[in-house]
Amino acid sequence: MDSLTVPGNLDSLQAIRDFVLAAAEEAGIDERSAYKLSLAVDEIATNIIIYGYGGSATPGDVVVQADTEDRRLQIVLEDTSPPFDPFSRGEPSGLDAPLEERAIGGLGVYLAKRSVDEFRYEYVDGRNRNIFVVNRSTT
Amino acid sequence: MEVSQRTEGEVEVIAISGEIDGSTAPAAQSQILSVAKSDAKILIDMSQVHYMSSAGLRMLLVVYRTVSGQGGKVVLTGLSQDLEDTMSLTGFLDFFDHFESVDAGLAAFN
Repeated sequence: MDSLTVPGNLDSLQAIRDFVLAAAEEAGIDERSAYKLSLAVDEIATNIIIYGYGGSATPGDVVVQADTEDRRLQIVLEDTSPPFDPFSRGEPSGLDAPLEERAIGGLGVYLAKRSVDEFRYEYVDGRNRNIFVVNRSTT
Repeated sequence: MEVSQRTEGEVEVIAISGEIDGSTAPAAQSQILSVAKSDAKILIDMSQVHYMSSAGLRMLLVVYRTVSGQGGKVVLTGLSQDLEDTMSLTGFLDFFDHFESVDAGLAAFN
């Protein structure tokens, strides 16, 4: 299992995506699915950094773990910011509304949920754990 | 991420290259809005943008509202399949005029 630990600031987003893309390539995930996985992880990492650690002069770390199994690649994002369950908020409304009437926000979690085969959240031992799973091609 | 700007006739052509995420979107937004005078015709060429998160969607939303509110128009060009997927999933694609090439985008202002 590979892992990456970066400080919880926005400058770390690129390194997190690069790590996820490298893990996806190693697992033989196709490019389109790999892009979507990196998008899902990036969206949640952005929320952790802006809302979880936001306002803290000394933000904690974000830890990214990649675990390749027979049939799937699992990415886990861990942070020590206050507990936040991305499933606690409802779906954004008005996705078909004209841009003039759009609320700004909520799109990141929405995209994350739809960009991987499985997305779940748990709070364990004082850490938020956001878990992303992409199935590997069996051919 | 880099933003460059040139003028083609009455159209401000803004080319973004690199990745638009939570750390780069604010700079892109302020650079684009700096040329958004009233009645502005703005073409944003995204053919060299290889990644865009919802931070980029928010940036486009703010640009669209600001420019439209001043009687201007925004056109996008060169969206990759990945960017189109993201914009389609969130309902953004239908509300932006978008074209494959800069030339086609420029023609849309005439």
